[in-house]
Amino acid sequence: MDPGSDGTTKLMASKYEKILLKNMEQPGYTGSLQDYEKAGGYQALRKVLGGIPPDEVIDIVKRSGLRGRGGAGFPTGVKWGFIPKDHPGPRFLCCNADESEPGTFKDRQLMERDPHQVLEGMIITCYAIRASLAYIYIRGEFRLAAKILERAIREARAAGYLGSRILGSELDVQIHVHAGAGAYICGEETALLESLEGKRGLPRFKPPFPATHGLYQKPTVVNNVETLANIPHIIMRGAEWYASIGSPPKSTGTRVFCLSGHVKRPGNYELPMGTTFRELIFEHGGGMRGEKPLKAFIPGGASAPFLTPDHLDVKMDFESVAMAGSMLGSGGVTVMEEGTSMVWAALRLMEFFYHESCGKCTPCREGSSWLVQILQRIWQGEGRMSDLDLLVDLCKNIEGRTVCAFGDAEVAPILSTLRYWRSEYEELIARAEASRSSKKELPVVA
Amino acid sequence: MSQETGQPTVTLTIDGMTITVPKDTLVIEAARQAGVMIPHFCYHPKLAPDANCRMCFVEIEKMPRLQTSCSTKVAEGMVVRTTSPTVQQARKSVLEFILANHPLDCPVCDQGGRCDLQDFSHEYTPPVSRFTELKRVFPKEYFSALIETQMNRCVQCLRCVRYCDQVMDVKALAPQGRGTLTEIKSFGHHELDCEFCGGCVQICPVGAITSRLSMYEFRPWMLKRAETICGYCGDGCEITLQTKENRLIEVNSTLGGGRNNADLCARGFFGYHASTHPDRLTTPLVRKDGHLVEVTWEEALETVAAQVGWVKDEYGPEAIGGLISARCTNEDLYLFQKFMRLVLGTNHLDSSVRYGYMNAIEAFRRVQGLHRWTVTFDDVVAADTLMLIGTNVTETNPITGLKIKEAVKQRGARLITLESLKPVRGTISNIATLATHHLELSPDQFGIGVLGLIKAVFEQGLVDSALEQEAPEYVGALRTKIEAITWDRLLAHSTLTPSMFHAAVRTFEQGARSIVVVGQGVLRSPGGYATMVNIHDVLLLLGRLDRPGCGIAALAEENNEQGAIEMGAVPDLLPGALPVSDPEARRAVAASWGQEPPRTPGLTMMEMIERAKTGHLKALFVVGENPLGSLPPSAGVAEALDRVELLVCQELFLTETAQRAHVVLPACSYAEKDGTCINTEGHTQAVRKAIEPLGESRPDWEIFSALSVLLDSPMEYETAKDLTKEIRNMIPASRVLGPAPLPPRPDREVLRRYILGGYRDDLDGRLTPPPVTKTTGTMTLSFAQSLFHSGKFSTKAKGLLKIQSAGVANLNPQDAERLGVRTGDRIEIRNEGGSAITPVRAWERVPEGVVVFPEHFDQDLRQVMSVTVDPRTGVPYCKLARVSVEKV
Ligand SMILES: Cc1cc2nc3c(=O)[nH]c(=O)nc-3n(C[C@H](O)[C@H](O)[C@H](O)COP(=O)(O)O)c2cc1C
Ligand code: SF4
Ligand code: SF4
Ligand code: SF4
Ligand code: FES
Repeated sequence: MDPGSDGTTKLMASKYEKILLKNMEQPGYTGSLQDYEKAGGYQALRKVLGGIPPDEVIDIVKRSGLRGRGGAGFPTGVKWGFIPKDHPGPRFLCCNADESEPGTFKDRQLMERDPHQVLEGMIITCYAIRASLAYIYIRGEFRLAAKILERAIREARAAGYLGSRILGSELDVQIHVHAGAGAYICGEETALLESLEGKRGLPRFKPPFPATHGLYQKPTVVNNVETLANIPHIIMRGAEWYASIGSPPKSTGTRVFCLSGHVKRPGNYELPMGTTFRELIFEHGGGMRGEKPLKAFIPGGASAPFLTPDHLDVKMDFESVAMAGSMLGSGGVTVMEEGTSMVWAALRLMEFFYHESCGKCTPCREGSSWLVQILQRIWQGEGRMSDLDLLVDLCKNIEGRTVCAFGDAEVAPILSTLRYWRSEYEELIARAEASRSSKKELPVVA
Repeated sequence: MSQETGQPTVTLTIDGMTITVPKDTLVIEAARQAGVMIPHFCYHPKLAPDANCRMCFVEIEKMPRLQTSCSTKVAEGMVVRTTSPTVQQARKSVLEFILANHPLDCPVCDQGGRCDLQDFSHEYTPPVSRFTELKRVFPKEYFSALIETQMNRCVQCLRCVRYCDQVMDVKALAPQGRGTLTEIKSFGHHELDCEFCGGCVQICPVGAITSRLSMYEFRPWMLKRAETICGYCGDGCEITLQTKENRLIEVNSTLGGGRNNADLCARGFFGYHASTHPDRLTTPLVRKDGHLVEVTWEEALETVAAQVGWVKDEYGPEAIGGLISARCTNEDLYLFQKFMRLVLGTNHLDSSVRYGYMNAIEAFRRVQGLHRWTVTFDDVVAADTLMLIGTNVTETNPITGLKIKEAVKQRGARLITLESLKPVRGTISNIATLATHHLELSPDQFGIGVLGLIKAVFEQGLVDSALEQEAPEYVGALRTKIEAITWDRLLAHSTLTPSMFHAAVRTFEQGARSIVVVGQGVLRSPGGYATMVNIHDVLLLLGRLDRPGCGIAALAEENNEQGAIEMGAVPDLLPGALPVSDPEARRAVAASWGQEPPRTPGLTMMEMIERAKTGHLKALFVVGENPLGSLPPSAGVAEALDRVELLVCQELFLTETAQRAHVVLPACSYAEKDGTCINTEGHTQAVRKAIEPLGESRPDWEIFSALSVLLDSPMEYETAKDLTKEIRNMIPASRVLGPAPLPPRPDREVLRRYILGGYRDDLDGRLTPPPVTKTTGTMTLSFAQSLFHSGKFSTKAKGLLKIQSAGVANLNPQDAERLGVRTGDRIEIRNEGGSAITPVRAWERVPEGVVVFPEHFDQDLRQVMSVTVDPRTGVPYCKLARVSVEKV
C-alpha cells in the first residue's frame, strides 16, 4: 500500500488486534501505573493470586504455545517447567533486556512505553517458578528505559504489586534493574548471568542450562522482555485464545517485528506470526523507500542468514523461515535495495561480529578476526579466488563448534551472501586479479 | 556399582574399548583411563571445566554436533569416537585457528620442547598455513620481576586465571580486552603483586607465562631431573629440581605427585637458589690465632676429634651438647643423635623443634599417647568443619592452606578462624575471608581464645554425653574452672562477643568430620603448651578427639620437624619417639646399636645455653642451627658461646653462630644429598640428590660418621640408603613411603588416663587467663613468618629476595594514620630492651594495635624481645613483645 501524498499513511492498526503495543498506541497513554491499571493492568496478577496455582500457570503458558522472543524461540512454558520443583534454595528470574542485535529495537519500546506490562509479566513468572528475586539486565545504553523501569518498580512497590506479601498474598517478589556495560555478548543468557554476578561477561558452556545452574548456580529462568510482556495477556484471556493467533500450533501469538533498512516506514509492527514478509515490508512498511526494488533482506536480526526477493512470501513463523534457510531470530527485518553490495553488507556485519566476539572460544575468536580480514581484503580489491573456498571452509569450522550461538551467527552473513550473490564476490576479485597481473611482481631476493 | 567401593559406575565405549568408570567422570578422563589421550589446552584436572579451547572434541553417538570431552560427563552406553575423520578435521581446524595469530617464535621460547601447542601442531597441522593476513601483535610489557608474559603466544585457555582464582584464591590475574585482543594481565593497574606460587607458569600449556629466574637458560631436553622434597616448610612438597651442568635451573612439580599434587608456594618454586648461593662454605675452617682459616677435611676432623675427646676425658660426657636443625634429613638427624648418645655418651641434644613444635608433640604424647597427627591432608580436604587457631596458614604452611581452601571452596566445608587477621582481601590470599566464623585475635590472645571456646562449649551444652558418663570429674572440674572466668575478663581486650564463640563452637560441632589446625601463633607464644592441651580439652568435650576424620593438626614450620621427633633428635626421646627414661626402650635401641644409650636425662636447648654460660657445658656441636641468629640477645647465647671451649658448626653458611666457632665444617644442602624426611602430617618422603656437593661440602651424616671413626666408635655407612634401612628397621612407622600415610589413632589407654586424672596436675594454671599486661600507648610486636621466606635460609634465595628483601613493619592503616605514617615511612620501635628503626607498610589485614614484622629480617629488632621458657616443654618464647612505636 502506498503512502498518502502527504507522507502520512493510515496505520494498519485495524487489520489485526494488537496485544503488546495496544496500550501505548492509545492517545495520551503514558505508561504510568494509573494508565496501566486503567487499561486493565495487574488484573492478571490478581487473577493468578486469586487461585491459579503456580504449576497451572506454567501449564497455561505451555498450552498457549508461547515461544521465546529473544532469538532461539524456545517454548516458554517448557523452559519454566525445567526449574526443579524440589530445589531447596533460591531460584531467580532474569529478564533479558540487553537488546543489542543489530536491527532489533522492540524491547526498548516495550520498556519505555509500557513498563508495567513487563513488570506484571515478570511478577507472574516469579510466581509460577517460585522465585522471589528477579533482575532486569538492561543494555547499558538504554538509560531512559532503565529510569522508566526504576520508576515503574517504585510505583508498583508502593501499590503493593511488588515487595513482600504482594496484594496480601504469600508472594514476595523484588525486581532489580542492572545495567550492562556495553558488550553484545552479554545478551547471551549465560554471559548475562556471569555479568550479573559481577564477572566478565563470557558465555558458559551448556549443559548445564540456567534452569538448573543459573545465577549463582541456582535454578534460573532467563526470558526476553517481549516474551514476558505476553504473560499477563495469556493469563487474562486464556491459553486457547493465544494459541489461536498466528500460525498455530508451533508459532502462536503476535510478534513485534522491527522493520529497518531501505523501506519507507521503518518501525515496530506487531503482527500475528505467520504474516508474510511481503505484507510487513510492502503493506505495513510502505514498501521500498525509492525506485530501486528489493534486493535482499535479513529476516531475524543480524544473526539470521540473508534472504532474497524469492522469499517474500515466506510466512514469518519459526518453521517457515527455518525451512527457507534462515531464522526468525529476534524479529528484526532489515531490507536492502538493489544496488547494495552484498560483499559490503557481509563485511559490515562481520566487522560487528569481530568487534563483539568475546574471545572465549578459539574458533569464534580467531575465526572472526581471520574472516573479517579476508572480507576487508576482498572489498579493498586485494581478493584472491581461493579466498572464497577458504571463507566457506573457515565458516564451516566455526559453525557448531563454539561455546555459544554467536559462532553460528557470525558465519550466517558470509555463507548466505556467498550462496545467493557469489558472483558479486567473484566480480570484485576478478577485477582485483586483473589489476594485479598488470603490475610487475617484484622478484624475491634470497 | 563398583564392586569394591560401592560407588555408582557407568559403562561406555571409547574407540571400541568398553570401560567402566565412576559416575560423573568426564569423557576426557574416562578416555585417559582407557589409555586414549585427547589433546586439550584449557582442561586441567584441578580446575572446573571451561571448554573454551575446543581442542578436545569427540564424536558421541546420538549427539548432534561434536562434543567437548572436557565438559561432557559419561553416560551409560555412550559410544565415543576420538579419532574419527570429523574429529581429526576439527582438531586440525582448531590448531589452525590458534596458530593464525601465534608468533611461531619457538626457537626463543622457554616452553619449546615441552609445549602442548608444539606437540599437537606436530601431530595435526599441515606444514603450510592458509593464514596470510596480519597477525595480531601485542607490544611487550613488563609484568613482574619473577614472572614474564609473552601474550602473543597465549592461547586464551584461561588456565592461569582459573588456577589463581579457583585453587589459590588469589585472583591476581585477569583477562582484559575482547576477542583476539584479550590479554592476561595482572588485576589492577600495577605490576603483578601476588603469592608468586608459580602456578600460572606451571599450568600454562604454552610459553605465554614463564619464569624470569631461568629465562633463556636452557632447552628442556638439556635438563636433568631429580624428584625430591622442598627444603623449606613442614608441608613437604614434592618438587622436581631441574639441573644443567651441576647448576639448579628450575623447579617443577607433578600432577598426582607428592602431598602437594603439583601445587607449590613461592619458596618452593622460586626459592631454589638458596642452596647454591655464592656465600656457601666449601672448605673446612679451623680457628687459628683467632681467625678461621681454610684447612683440609683431615685436619679439621682430627682437630674436632682431639678436642672433643679431650673434653670428654677431662669433664665427662655431660659437658658436651649438640643442637641440630630440623631442616636436616632423617638420616642426618638420626646419626646426629646416635653420635651424641653412642659416640659421645650424652643425651644433651636438641633440635629446632624446640622453638615451638615440641609444645604440640608433648601435648599429643600426654593426652593422645602419640607424637603425630591423627589426620592427613586428605582428611583436611574431606572435613565438614575446620577450625584454625593462630596458624597464619597461608604464610607458614601454604599447601595446608590450599587443602583448607579446597575443603571450603570446592567441598563446602565450614571454616572457623581464630587468627590475628582482619578478613580483608589483598594481593595475597587471606584465609579469614573464607571463614563462616572469624574470631579476630591479637597474636598474644590465642590462649584466651581457646579458653573462650571451652566456655562456649559448656554454655551451649555441647559436652559429649559419653564423656560425661565416663569422666564426670574431668568434665566437672573443667566446668567449675571455666565458669569462674567471666567473659568480661576473657574478652577485655577484644571486640569479640560471647555469642561469636557460641556460634563458632556450634558450627564446629555440626560437622561429623571436624579438624582443628594449630599454628605458630599458639605454639610459639607464651603458654603454648598449656593452650595446646586446652585445645585437646575442647575436642574431648565435643567428643571429636577420637573419631575418624577428626583430630588436631599442629603445623611444623621447618620441613623435617616431624622427622626430628621420630629420629629422637631431642633429649628425652629415642628413635621412634620412645622415652629415654623407659628401660625397655633403651634395651630396644641397644638391640640395634649394640649398646644402650645413656640414661641420664638430657638438657634442652635453653638448658644447654644456661649450662654453657655457667661454664658447665664445655663443647657444643651445632648442626645447621643458629641460636645466636634466632634467639634475642637477652637469651645470652653470645655469652654462652664465648665460654665453651669447643664450638663445632656444620653449616652451609658462615652464620652468626658459625662465626664464633672453633671449627666450621661445610655441609651440603638438601639439593646435594639423598635421604628422607617426614612432613608435618607424618608422611615420609624421599629427598634425592640433584647436584654434586658444592666444593668440599659433605652431607651431615657423613661428617658424624667420619668423626665416629676418629673417636674409635665407628658408625660406618656406605650411603644414606644404609642409614635409611637402619632407621626403617628401628622405626616401623617410618616405613611408609607412598601416597597415603595411614595416620595413627589415639591410644585409648592414654586418653583414659588423661580424663581420669592426668588432666589434673596443671589444670589451675592452664585454665587461668594470663594477666593483662596492656599498657596504654603500646602495641604488640609480633615476629611472624612471611609467605616469601622460611627461617633465614631463604634470605639467600635470589628469587625470593626479588619479592621481599628487607623487613618492613606492617601496621593496620588506622594505626598508621594515628602515628602519622604512610607506607614507606620509617618508625622507631622501642621498649626496655632496646630500639630499632624500620620502614612501615600499612596493611589492611593487620589488626589494630599489632605490628607484624617478618622474622627473617629481625636482626636489628631482636633486642626488643625477651625470652621466657615454657616450664614444661622448655620452649623459648621470644616472638612477641610490647613496644611503643613512633614516627621518625
Ligand atoms: C550472541 C547472543 C546474543 C543474544 N542477545 C540477546 C539479547 O540481546 N536479548 C535477548 O532477549 N536474547 C538474546 N539472546 C538469546 C538469549 O541467549 C536467550 O536465548 C534468551 O534471552 C531467552 O529468552 P526467551 O526464551 O524469552 O527468548 C542472545 C543470544 C546470543 C547467542
Ligand atoms: S562463540 Fe564467540 S561469543 Fe560465543 S563464547 Fe565463543 S568466542 Fe565468545
Ligand atoms: S597465559 Fe597461558 S595459561 Fe594463561 S590463558 Fe594464556 S595460554 Fe592459557
Ligand atoms: S615452602 Fe612449604 S608449601 Fe612452599 S613449596 Fe616448600 S614445602 Fe611446599
Ligand atoms: S580442553 Fe575441552 S574445550 Fe579446551
